[in-house]
Amino acid sequence: MTERLLPEPFQDLELYLAWSLPTDRERSVKRQTSSMAEINAFYHAMLPKMDEILTYLEQYPPEQVPADVQRLFFLTLSLAKIAPAVEMYGEPNAEGLDALRLVNVDIYPVRS
Amino acid sequence: MNADANGTTGRKWHDRYPELGTGPIPIDPYISRDYFEKERERIFRKVWLNVGRVEQIPQPGDYFVKELAVCNTSIVVVRGDDGTVRAFHNMCAHRGNPVVWNAKGKCKTFTCRYHSWTYGLDGALRYVPDEKNFYGIKKEALGLTPVAVDTWEGFIFINTDPTPKETLQDYLGEAGRSFAGYPFAEIATGCSAWESDVNANWKVCKDAFQEVYHIFSLHNRSTGAAFAGKSNPYLNVHELAIFGTHARISVPASLDWRPTPVEALAKRYGMLTLQKQDSSSQGMPAGVNPTGAPDWSFSGFMCFPNTCLYVADGGFLTHTFWPLSETRTHWEARIYFPKAKTLAQQFSQEYSRATFVDGVLVEDGGMFEKIQSLLASGAKKEIIVGDEELLIRHHHKVTETFFNA
Repeated sequence: MTERLLPEPFQDLELYLAWSLPTDRERSVKRQTSSMAEINAFYHAMLPKMDEILTYLEQYPPEQVPADVQRLFFLTLSLAKIAPAVEMYGEPNAEGLDALRLVNVDIYPVRS
Repeated sequence: MNADANGTTGRKWHDRYPELGTGPIPIDPYISRDYFEKERERIFRKVWLNVGRVEQIPQPGDYFVKELAVCNTSIVVVRGDDGTVRAFHNMCAHRGNPVVWNAKGKCKTFTCRYHSWTYGLDGALRYVPDEKNFYGIKKEALGLTPVAVDTWEGFIFINTDPTPKETLQDYLGEAGRSFAGYPFAEIATGCSAWESDVNANWKVCKDAFQEVYHIFSLHNRSTGAAFAGKSNPYLNVHELAIFGTHARISVPASLDWRPTPVEALAKRYGMLTLQKQDSSSQGMPAGVNPTGAPDWSFSGFMCFPNTCLYVADGGFLTHTFWPLSETRTHWEARIYFPKAKTLAQQFSQEYSRATFVDGVLVEDGGMFEKIQSLLASGAKKEIIVGDEELLIRHHHKVTETFFNA
C-alpha cells in the first residue's frame, strides 16, 4: 500500500502538491515564479474546500502532525501567501521592495 | 489679517502644538554625513534604545547579539544565572575579538574563539589560558564592558552612554506610562520577524510609519480600504499627541470594509495584523484608543529615536530603524501574536503575516529607496509636511533639541 499524500477527504488537491512547501522563503519564491493563471487555479481549487480543511486542521496542535496533514497544512500556508495576489493585486506580486529582500528570522530560542 | 490664510491657525494638530511650526523641513538631515555623525554622537550614543524583548532570552544563559553600527559597537544581551538581564559590549579584553559570533544562543560561559579567554554570564573574566605568559594582568579589571540595560513592559532597552543621564522609566515618561498594562507578555508568546538592509536614510523609513496619510494612496490595492473609508477618505487620525521626546498616534478603521474571502477565513481562527473593524480597546491602558473611538483600529507609540510600536486588539508590532550610514538602514519589523494552539490558528496567523509583508513591508519598503535616490538631486531643498504628518515635524524638532543641548 502506498503512503497517502493528503488526508482522505482532500485527496483531489494532490494536483496542487507543488504548493505544499515547508518554508516561508520557498512559498515566496513559488509565488514570485508562478503565473497569475497558476496562482488563480490553485486559489480556486483551495477556496471552496477551506471551511472543511480548517475544521479538520483545528483538531491538530502544531506539534507532532502526521505527514499527510502537514502537507495539507502547507497548502493552506501557500493559500495565505497568494491570497493577496488574487484578492488585492490581480498580479503575482505587490509593488515595492522585492519580498525576497525581507529576511524572515527566528528571534526566539528554538528548543529541541 | 486672516492668519488662517497662511495656514498657521485653524489646523487641528498645529493648534495643539503651535511650537512645532508649519514650515517645510530641510532635506539636508536625510543626506548629510555631518548630520548623521551628530545623530550618532548626540542621540544614539546618549539615549535608551529598544533592542528586543525578554521572550528572546527566557532562561539563564540565553543570549542575543545586537549589532549597533550606529554606536560603533556590538552588544550581547544575556540572562544570567540569577535571572537578571545584562548587556555587554561584545568585545574581548585581550585583543578586541567579538566574544560571541552567533546572533543568538544559549551558553554557560562566553569563550572567545581567538585564544579562549573565558567570561562568565555576569561578564567577569574567569579564565586566561597560559595566564603566566602575561605581564601581571588583573582579571577582575578585565571583564566584558557592561552596557546600561533595563526593561519596560518586556521590551529590553540599552544605553551605550557609560553614565545615562536618566532612567529608562524617566526617558519613556508619560508616553510610556500610557501604554503600560497592555497585554504585551500574553501576546508575545509568538513572534515573526523580518530584517532588511535598505538604501535609505533611517528617517525616510521612520517617516513612513509616523503618519497614515499615505494609506489611502500607497496601499490603495491592499490595506487602504480597511482604514480609509467613505466617511474618512484620507484617514485623518483620532489623535496625535506629543509627550516631550516621544509621541502617540491613534488610527481609525473603516466601517465600510468587507473582508476578502481568505481574510474572512483567517479572521474566524484568530486576530489579524492591525485588526480592523470590530476591534475593542476595552480594559486597555489610556494610550490605547485614547479618544475611546468606536471605529478604532490601532494606536502607536513613537519611541524616540528609532522604534515605532503599534498596538491593536490581539496583536502588536514594532519597526526599528538602525542607521548604518546617512543613506543606509538596517530595518527590523516584528509582529507578535499569541503562539497558535492549532494548525487552523497557524493558518490564520500566516494570512496576517502575508498581508503584513505585502501591504506594509513591500509597499512601504519600496518607497524608501525610491525617495532616497532623489533626495540628493538638488531639485528640492525641502520637503513639505502637513498637519496630519505632525509627528515627522516633531522628530526633527526633538533632534534639534538634542543637537543644541
